[in-house]
Amino acid sequence: MVATDEELVARSMDGDVDSFNQLVLRWERPIYALAYRVIGRDEDARDVAQETFLRAFRALPGFKGQAKFSSWLYRIALNLCRDWIRRKKRTPLVEMPEGVDVAELASEQGPVESIEDLVARQEMSRIVAEGMKLLPDEQRTAIVLKEYHGLTFQEIADLQGCPLSTVKTRLYQGLTVLRRHLESRGMTSYESDKG
Amino acid sequence: MMSHKFTCDDKQTLISYLYGEIDHETRQMVEAHLSACEACAAEVTALGDVRADIGLWVPPDVELDFTIVKKSQLPAATVLRPARWWNTVPAWGQAAAAILVLAAGAAIANVQVTSGPEGFSVSTGWMTPRAAPALSEPVDGQAVDRRIERALVSLEQQLRTEIRSTREEQKRVATPPADDATIRRVQQLIADSEQRHERALAMRFVEFTRDMNMQRRADLMNIGRGMVSYDEQLQRQRQTINSLIRVSATPQQ
Repeated sequence: MVATDEELVARSMDGDVDSFNQLVLRWERPIYALAYRVIGRDEDARDVAQETFLRAFRALPGFKGQAKFSSWLYRIALNLCRDWIRRKKRTPLVEMPEGVDVAELASEQGPVESIEDLVARQEMSRIVAEGMKLLPDEQRTAIVLKEYHGLTFQEIADLQGCPLSTVKTRLYQGLTVLRRHLESRGMTSYESDKG
Repeated sequence: MMSHKFTCDDKQTLISYLYGEIDHETRQMVEAHLSACEACAAEVTALGDVRADIGLWVPPDVELDFTIVKKSQLPAATVLRPARWWNTVPAWGQAAAAILVLAAGAAIANVQVTSGPEGFSVSTGWMTPRAAPALSEPVDGQAVDRRIERALVSLEQQLRTEIRSTREEQKRVATPPADDATIRRVQQLIADSEQRHERALAMRFVEFTRDMNMQRRADLMNIGRGMVSYDEQLQRQRQTINSLIRVSATPQQ
């Protein structure tokens, strides 16, 4: 039986480092993905993810369980991202992974997706990443938390420290900017095209 | 629960509808509006398409493998410094070595110690030589040796005194009074440095693992290409052999 986050947190607070490492294993990829999409650099996203778990481990005695463990981690990670952006004083750059073998990726996708589909999907991914770069930090963070992490409006409002209505406005404005960007690049929906 | 009527400029309710975080009554109200308003219906469709496209942006597939290790589980760090050879030589040895060096230097420099009615005088080969004594003057060789010996003894004592005073001064400078704040500061610096090194090591390890994986994949691809090339060669050889067999099997006319 798989232990819940709460059980692992309780064991970690009793000094069981292995339990905390299970939490790390469970959450390292979402936290890295969050950092990558917010700050847009692979190496820095790794640093932020690593630092998030170090800080969480150190601050564990102070974790009272008012929020979910994942929300607590998200908060630490977002604070670190914010610090990173402030420190670097630059807009996030989105780097696309290089040296990706399209044929190899196609084989990993299985026989259903053709090479043409895969190339179109990669192109769309690149344009989306480009569009994300245009958004202000708050709008991008709201979209990332909603679209990729499935947080509710209220959870995002708690994390961003703003009213619920502000979150909805940020989402609407961010999506509208992305829509215009995609249209300006002559892109219609990839899924619609497939259908 | 919404009690007001949905209008085209109510973007917050539109977003709630788009993400499905909406109560049943408001949903019905929005859907009724969308069936009558083409502009809002088109906007909802377009934003839905944008959401679908956003889902295609995936971060790179990197290996993370973060692990928390308690410091107490690590072996105690020991900082080894290379010993300076001169620190292992006793003080008297160092003093003797210094005198030897001085004596050797004096020999090279052609030191001449003389005494006369005007007192001691030391001259080197680099200085203008004194006028040579007249050949008629009697020269007592033993007396000169004794004077040189006395002068050397005096010089040695002077050097010892100076070396001793210099070392005491160095000791005073090298060991300033350390207070608790300084010690804490130094400990903090050491701890920070260790932490930085640990992080750098962990990052290098991750990079190394990633490079290894990339190299492995490249090698596998090269091996695959090599195998294809080998198969082609084999196929050509087989065809050649088959041709030869056919030619040899054809009866000569």
